[in-house]
Amino acid sequence: MTEVLALLIFPGGIALLLAALLYEWINRKLAARLQNRVGPRWFQPLADLVKLLAKEEIIPQGAQPVLFDLLPIVSLAAVTTAALYTPLFGLAPAGSFPGDLIVAVYLLSVLSLCTSLAGLITDDRYALVGGLRVLTQLFSYEAPFLLALLLPALVAGSWQISVIAAYTSEHTWLLLTQPVGFVVAVIGLMGKLELPPFDAPEAHTEIVAGSLTEYSGRGLALFRLSRNVVLIVGLTLIAALYLGGVANPLLFFAKTLLLLVGVTIAQMLFARLRIDQTVGLWWRFGVLLALGQWLLTLLGKAVA
Amino acid sequence: MLTRVWEHTLGEVVQWARVNSPWALHFNSGSCNGCDIELLATLTPRYDVERLGVKLQGSPRQADLLVVTGAVTRQAKDRLLRIYAQMPEPRFVMALGSCALSKGIFHDCYNVVGPVDVFIPVDVYVPGCPPRPEAIIAGMVALLGKLQAAPAAEAQT
Ligand code: SF4
Repeated sequence: MTEVLALLIFPGGIALLLAALLYEWINRKLAARLQNRVGPRWFQPLADLVKLLAKEEIIPQGAQPVLFDLLPIVSLAAVTTAALYTPLFGLAPAGSFPGDLIVAVYLLSVLSLCTSLAGLITDDRYALVGGLRVLTQLFSYEAPFLLALLLPALVAGSWQISVIAAYTSEHTWLLLTQPVGFVVAVIGLMGKLELPPFDAPEAHTEIVAGSLTEYSGRGLALFRLSRNVVLIVGLTLIAALYLGGVANPLLFFAKTLLLLVGVTIAQMLFARLRIDQTVGLWWRFGVLLALGQWLLTLLGKAVA
Repeated sequence: MLTRVWEHTLGEVVQWARVNSPWALHFNSGSCNGCDIELLATLTPRYDVERLGVKLQGSPRQADLLVVTGAVTRQAKDRLLRIYAQMPEPRFVMALGSCALSKGIFHDCYNVVGPVDVFIPVDVYVPGCPPRPEAIIAGMVALLGKLQAAPAAEAQT
């Protein structure tokens, strides 16, 4: 019984979704303040969500109706499952087994895959272009992001998130010993979330709304919600692996909010990259930097 | 009884969400661009309509509020109807500027087929040539007030 409650209400389920909406608001509000605006009110993400859920759902001609309905649900399910393996709110993860880091990272990628497929199953040409761009971007940031998240695993000698988090909270922050890995991980998270400068897949000025152009009501709401969940889970992962672990709720909020502020400032600083520039950036610099850090770490381990 | 209370509460919640999150889509049906520039000025930091939850959306499928500027030309008529048809219910229309209201200075042009409300139902009219950003914000608030005043049961359908 308590297990079901833990999965559905706290710390999984409802609490996770509410926290995800809260983080979206902080992100939007901060972005607005950086642009000298007042910004949205605190309940804005919740109002958007409820409104979208209550809106008419149009299944466009030429789309695969079953997939069209199923994709948002699959993506939300995948990312909330990934949340089970991360130390959300500074509590012990609900599930934990050796190797859960890899599972969590790949479950987070399901969102990008579903978004891309959502564009590819419709007849809409903007959605097609958007879907292809999502896929291209996925292939460019995925490898460096994974490499950057596996660095702490290499240092701690385990693939289990809770073991790595325990290791990092006892030693110096990996941010100080592995700064390159940290930077690649944060930028990779921004690529995953399609935040500027990596928002070519949903560039409003070029391709309407990218792969989600045809989604109107419930589907769009679920996709937005899963993106927020990826935001909070990704921040938690990076804070746990690089910023010395999230041992209690206070540390959790302090560290993830600090990271969120950094991400928002970076998002406001840069203009959108073209899709080929994004790929170039990742494969010319991102991967090489992450691999260099791997080599250094391995050498350090061999010497020690 | 219980289902009635439940439906009523649900209607109220949905109505609250709708009033607080109107996403807008901008369509130029033949305006001189004066109104378009004022509409964009309304989105700038100085006026910041995100305070009211207004966000400019690129796709008609994701918009609640269609902002039409300019008198409807023969060429734009079909596009206007198609975009209106693409929007999911509930949808609202704002006619922006004298031209959208009454054809304005283009009233006797050979290619102008009428003001906006001849073709699609308009919920709020904002006069002016062009209307100031303050007037546009006042129009949006008027529309939201209208939504708020509607009975909750109506909001649910
Ligand atoms: S109302 Fe005035 S500013 Fe607006 S489109 Fe007509 S002529 Fe241009």
